[in-house]
Amino acid sequence: MIFVSGDVSACPESLGLSENDYIKEVFTMGKEDLVSNNPLRVLGLETDEAVDARRVGLVMARAGLGKTAILVQIAMDAMFRDNKVLHVAIGEGIDKTRTWYDDILTLINDDKKVANFQTVVDDIMKNRMIMTFKENSFSLATLEERMEDLSSQEIFKADCLIVDGFDFSDAESVSALNELNGFMNKNELKMIWFSAVSHRGDERVSANGVPAPCHEFDEIFDTVLLISPEDDEIRLKTLKCSEACSVDAGTSLSLDPATMLLKKA
Amino acid sequence: MSVDLSNVRNIGISAHIDSGKTTLTERILFYTDRIHAIHDVRGKDGVGAKMDSMELERERGITIQSAATYCTWKDININIIDTPGHVDFTVEVERALRVLDGAVLVLCSVGGVQSQSITVNRQMDRYNVPRISFINKCDRTGANPERVTGQLQEKLGLNAHMLQIPIGLEGDLEGVIDLVTMKAIYFDGENGETIREEEIPAGLKDAAEEKREELLDVVSMFSDELMEAMLEETEITTDMVKAAVRTGTLALEFSPVFLGSAYKNKAVQPLLDAVEYYLPCPTDVENIGLNLDKDEEEFSVTNDDEDPLIMLSFKLEDGRYGQLTYVRTYQGTLNKGDTVVNTRTGKKVKVGRLVRMHSDEMEEIDSCGSGDIVALFGVDCASGDTFTDGKHSCSMTSMHIPEPVISLAIIPKDNKAQINMSKALNRFTKEDPTFKTFVDHETSETIISGMGELHLEVYVERMKREYGAEVEVGAPQVAYRETITRRAEFNYIHKKQTGGSGQFGRVGGYMEPLEEGEYEFEDKIVGGSIPREFISSCDKGFKKSLAKGTLCGSPVTGVRCVINDGAFHAVDSSDVAFQLASVGAFKEGYMKAKPTIMEPIMKVAVEGPSEFQGSVMGSINQRRGMIIGTMEEGTYTVVEAEVPLSEMFGYSTSLRSLTQGKAEFTMEFASFKPVPKSVSEELIKKFQDEKKEK
Repeated sequence: MIFVSGDVSACPESLGLSENDYIKEVFTMGKEDLVSNNPLRVLGLETDEAVDARRVGLVMARAGLGKTAILVQIAMDAMFRDNKVLHVAIGEGIDKTRTWYDDILTLINDDKKVANFQTVVDDIMKNRMIMTFKENSFSLATLEERMEDLSSQEIFKADCLIVDGFDFSDAESVSALNELNGFMNKNELKMIWFSAVSHRGDERVSANGVPAPCHEFDEIFDTVLLISPEDDEIRLKTLKCSEACSVDAGTSLSLDPATMLLKKA
Repeated sequence: MSVDLSNVRNIGISAHIDSGKTTLTERILFYTDRIHAIHDVRGKDGVGAKMDSMELERERGITIQSAATYCTWKDININIIDTPGHVDFTVEVERALRVLDGAVLVLCSVGGVQSQSITVNRQMDRYNVPRISFINKCDRTGANPERVTGQLQEKLGLNAHMLQIPIGLEGDLEGVIDLVTMKAIYFDGENGETIREEEIPAGLKDAAEEKREELLDVVSMFSDELMEAMLEETEITTDMVKAAVRTGTLALEFSPVFLGSAYKNKAVQPLLDAVEYYLPCPTDVENIGLNLDKDEEEFSVTNDDEDPLIMLSFKLEDGRYGQLTYVRTYQGTLNKGDTVVNTRTGKKVKVGRLVRMHSDEMEEIDSCGSGDIVALFGVDCASGDTFTDGKHSCSMTSMHIPEPVISLAIIPKDNKAQINMSKALNRFTKEDPTFKTFVDHETSETIISGMGELHLEVYVERMKREYGAEVEVGAPQVAYRETITRRAEFNYIHKKQTGGSGQFGRVGGYMEPLEEGEYEFEDKIVGGSIPREFISSCDKGFKKSLAKGTLCGSPVTGVRCVINDGAFHAVDSSDVAFQLASVGAFKEGYMKAKPTIMEPIMKVAVEGPSEFQGSVMGSINQRRGMIIGTMEEGTYTVVEAEVPLSEMFGYSTSLRSLTQGKAEFTMEFASFKPVPKSVSEELIKKFQDEKKEK
């Protein structure tokens, strides 16, 4: 490694780099540090070959167990790879959603001490837009209309979509998911990740082990992750995963309960 | 004078512009017998509301300067600071929040939580101010207090719950049902001054019961006694509920919501009761001072009248009888005739007159105790200064003052205007720390700078009206900054031999970006290569260089200069020689340190009907703005973005035409960020051209 992480004062000349290479190096190293322990990376889903495997993803958990934290990390991995991410938060405000990103980045930086942290963050945040809706004002059709508004004016053309707070218990909303493939193709989306709340008292599961309310239509998801507390730790289980995954379905990863980041291997 | 502090409330009234807080204050003053007639804000009767004492405020119908007032409700002494609603004047809001113990957040029942309410709420969070909300204008068409309460929860993240429900809404608003006492309250008489308590109307009984249950569920978390009573299904007393609400509110974990219509004289008195019941008295909150003798070690002020005096000046005004200084006493007693010490300057001052302010009228008093807010006459100080009895050295926590982001040149029309302008600027800069002024020596123009176009516009207007200073105003200029992006070394020799004693000094070291702060200087000289007496000369030289960067002539910030080598001459080295050597060293290092120009970026929130969302986003995009997100709530959408200030001039006009006048926006300073290359090149070229012209 040429660039020493945390050393913001080094000169390109002293490193034998041209101005452009120096900047590139700083950004690459900064970004790498920020996503090295990202769930997608650990699952092997970040590679270009794995694009189909992660096309439609789902993170499930009971309320309050950190679905948004995982979705935000997935979004960040996409943003670091220069994909435009539209983060749709249903029933949440912009500030709260934004705080998730800020908090997770701060936590990672506390650990990694990323060089030129703020510059790297400013750079990747250009790849993010947050769109929030009230529960009763969200529909895929409205979302499509808004996305069209953004892309037609060349303001923001999303490559990836994060949908946090989608109501999978509502039959009408779920029936709209039948059009998901068409929606993705039309909008040239590389991936969509959803979150869903599972309930303690509801024992229903699909053959793949995907809990209710998503047990009856788990075929629409290529990857399904479940966050579950076990003893005194939080596990991120891979319930469903295509062959592109570097881990098998059933593998689980350990999450730090304080930060909801993956524990280091 | 010894006042029972549990009977004192220092409160602020903060809100979004036009949510009716000045009208509310007016009604409060009426019901507490401080005024005997009610006047409207945009006074058709030509009198105007009491708290909007400045002519300009009355004309525009907005509050520009906060005026302090005092009133008594039942046995409670309430000090109220009426605060401005426009974001350009938020330093006034911040100052008020710094010295107040609690606040009333006023919201419009139609407009709900708007962007300015979010800003104000954030400021309240910063100063840990417990707050209650008052949903005003419930008589207006489209009033929906429940929706507004929902917004308080969602947008502001407050655990907000209604302690009242309305009896009728819009044109049918008759009164409110108190969910704590479970009584219907009506407001009779010409000005709603007669309170009539009745049983809850039959048609609203179920709704009231249901809402009370919800409320009890939430507030029982703050009281074991209430929780027990609920579990054991024993009698739940009014006092139990009040105590639980108070505990939750003071801990900033609960925020009670009240409603009414100040304009229609409905439900202002219950709000005053709520100020008494639920907002803290001075002893309920912890205020922190800094011990200057112990390296600014934090300590809690005691609030005890018997302890040595500590008070903070938070607002200055230049009145007919000289400078008026608003102070809050944190501990001790201040008597008329006492001598106090300004801990910043070390100067002793005698307090000749002590007054309690009631907007622009005053009441002479002989003394004031801990927790009080009063005003002093003839005390020369700046806003934010701490006064003590001189026996100990301490300062109250410094206030958060944002840097100015916009400036414009003002040219007096004649000699008389020149003299009056100086007087006015002298006063304004002392009163308002975000308003700054200086003379550009190259153009000889007087430059004023502040927090936004309206901020400066108001001061120019005040110069004219209050001081008769007619000035011509130049185009607004963005306050750019320069900074460095990498470390660079310097080694500069300043040598001059032109007869008489010469000048010699060599300064070696490096400069590097400073992540936080404006400037830092470090001396790493060993072996006396620069004698001790000239180290401060080097610091001075660097500081001089910071005033004007070489890219576009803007101030340089975020630089750490370290000296580690140098040389001197026994005869020719001097203070001046080392200052000049440092100026040269700075210049040498600066260009190698890859300097860049930074511009102020504003956080902009545009609110309007969802149908205009596309055009609003387009307009932001055209202005080099980065859209952070959109928040859609049915037919209404808020677009949040970060936009360079330089692109925001004239935005209100263009937004109006884009949205048929249905959208509005607010902006506040967010941060300084590097300008894009094209803009940077343009600014550098402009600066070079200007230099050539000179």
